[in-house]
Amino acid sequence: MEKCAQATCFVPDTGCDLGHTDLSKCPIWHGAKVTDTADEELSGEMLMPWSGSALGFADLGFVSGRGKPIVIGVVGPQNAGKTTLLAAWYLLLGRGLAGTKGQLFAGSYTLSGWEAVAGSMRWAPGQPPGFPAHTTSRGGRAPGLLHLTFRDENGDRPVDYLFTDAPGEWFQRWAINRDSDEGAGARWVSDNADAFMIVADRDALAGELMGTARGSLQRIAKRLGAERGGRPVALVWTKSDVDIPPEMEEAVRGAVTDAMSDTVEHSVSVVGAPDGDPLLNKGAGLVELLQWAIGVRRPGVRLPPPASTSDDPLFIYGNNKP
Amino acid sequence: MSQTSNSILLVGESGVGKTHYWAQLLRRLMRIPGALRMNGAATNLEAFEAALESLDEGRAAGHTARSVNVDSVWPVVDANGREADLVWPEYGGEQIKSVIENRRLPDTWQKRVDEADAWLLLIRPQQTSVGDDMFSKPLAGLKGVSVENREVHPSDQARLVELLQMLIFSHRSTSRLHRLPRLGVLLTCWDEAGIAQTPSEALEARLPLVSAFVRSNWRQPLIMGLSALERPLSPTTRDMEYASKGPEHFGYVVEANGTKSGDLALPIYHLLDAGD
Repeated sequence: MEKCAQATCFVPDTGCDLGHTDLSKCPIWHGAKVTDTADEELSGEMLMPWSGSALGFADLGFVSGRGKPIVIGVVGPQNAGKTTLLAAWYLLLGRGLAGTKGQLFAGSYTLSGWEAVAGSMRWAPGQPPGFPAHTTSRGGRAPGLLHLTFRDENGDRPVDYLFTDAPGEWFQRWAINRDSDEGAGARWVSDNADAFMIVADRDALAGELMGTARGSLQRIAKRLGAERGGRPVALVWTKSDVDIPPEMEEAVRGAVTDAMSDTVEHSVSVVGAPDGDPLLNKGAGLVELLQWAIGVRRPGVRLPPPASTSDDPLFIYGNNKP
Repeated sequence: MSQTSNSILLVGESGVGKTHYWAQLLRRLMRIPGALRMNGAATNLEAFEAALESLDEGRAAGHTARSVNVDSVWPVVDANGREADLVWPEYGGEQIKSVIENRRLPDTWQKRVDEADAWLLLIRPQQTSVGDDMFSKPLAGLKGVSVENREVHPSDQARLVELLQMLIFSHRSTSRLHRLPRLGVLLTCWDEAGIAQTPSEALEARLPLVSAFVRSNWRQPLIMGLSALERPLSPTTRDMEYASKGPEHFGYVVEANGTKSGDLALPIYHLLDAGD
């Protein structure tokens, strides 16, 4: 069977991009094949238009139909724990410990993508958990986007969130040269995110290559400061159980706050309090950071109140006319 | 919508105990007065025949073959004379598994999803679990262990949420009704789980992601517990008490407030009731 002619549609791997459950009714698909008779293999089956894996640009139309999703850009050098942070959130949601007060999980079109990053942190028979594998760059230009929907418990409209899962190399290239080819994906994140989390890895800042780690973080902070406009930023210290020299901590914090004075700070770790109930272990700081992330809203526009002498809505408008 | 078009679609993965529930419910509807009774005769009971016989002898029913795909229509009526047609698709639970894995909904299923006024999802808490991860069971010396190319099996919760998302998508794209069908969740094999809470607390504790998904997408989901057999039966050895007393004297449902009732038709009665 042929593929659909529409660039953003992946029939027959997923369902019709335009939402036609009966492909013969799709004008584009119909035009793509006039004499093809292999239609039977699809007839009668409805393909879901999402694959479950992390979303790419072509899939964005599907999740943004109800409103532009809030994009949270996870920024930081490679191996800083960006993917682990996302995976930890997913595990906490699955255990009911994410503590998203009043905000209920209402679905995700990237469940397989979340499972793929979180799977390595689970115990499987004969396989102890580990951290998610390095997110490869492979010259890609688009970050993987992981989707979550939350709905207010009193039934307000659901809000969609997209979390970027991009390799750290991109941000390092982007910090050096804003327009570099390898940094194209990072540029997308910086152009489209509604809020940023800049991830500082305490383990790297205490390790052998601490100087390099500090340098690349400072450069990324500088670049982000120049690019972010007024969008909110959180400085996230990952692996917060690792001690680092105070001067080092100050140098990084200084670089971030110099560039972005309104940054909020969070410290997170998957290692929780050692003496607590293991079933209730939520690590440290992860829940607070998730609350911050799903509390992000796009700044709205405030209309001036209509000038009126009457309380009756019928007469409020237009009573200034002579 | 006319009252007689009421229909309830039963959804459950394999091994959750659908066949046992159907067989036990059928017998109640025919013999024991309760919230509902049979109004006439079911169209086709072939699929339940073997299960009924096994239970009569005090044995567990066999596994439903994957290829079985017959809809059996049961006309029922409640004490107020309200009539409804229950359409029970009898199918092997593996069908559900392949729907989730292949992300394709066969047309028989689209039709069922489109026509049903309520969905009743059966979940067996014992066979679905959150599992251990780095938080619940940390590993000493975890640092720096990264896992390459590990095969990931989707978690039980992700599978159930994906199934519901697929049903919702199918309903929204084919049905003329804007409103989603009502949802009931039945936690099956309640006796083996040994949980003392109410059914909705049990769902929240066992499957938090599913519970949040259900609560955020349906304003008033019906969450109940069910033990269709009341005790585990073996497919080979006979339970003499069952054989002598009759299987219709066993089994109970757990209502939303935690009280037990022997009337297995209550989940269906409540789902019909909620439509008014």
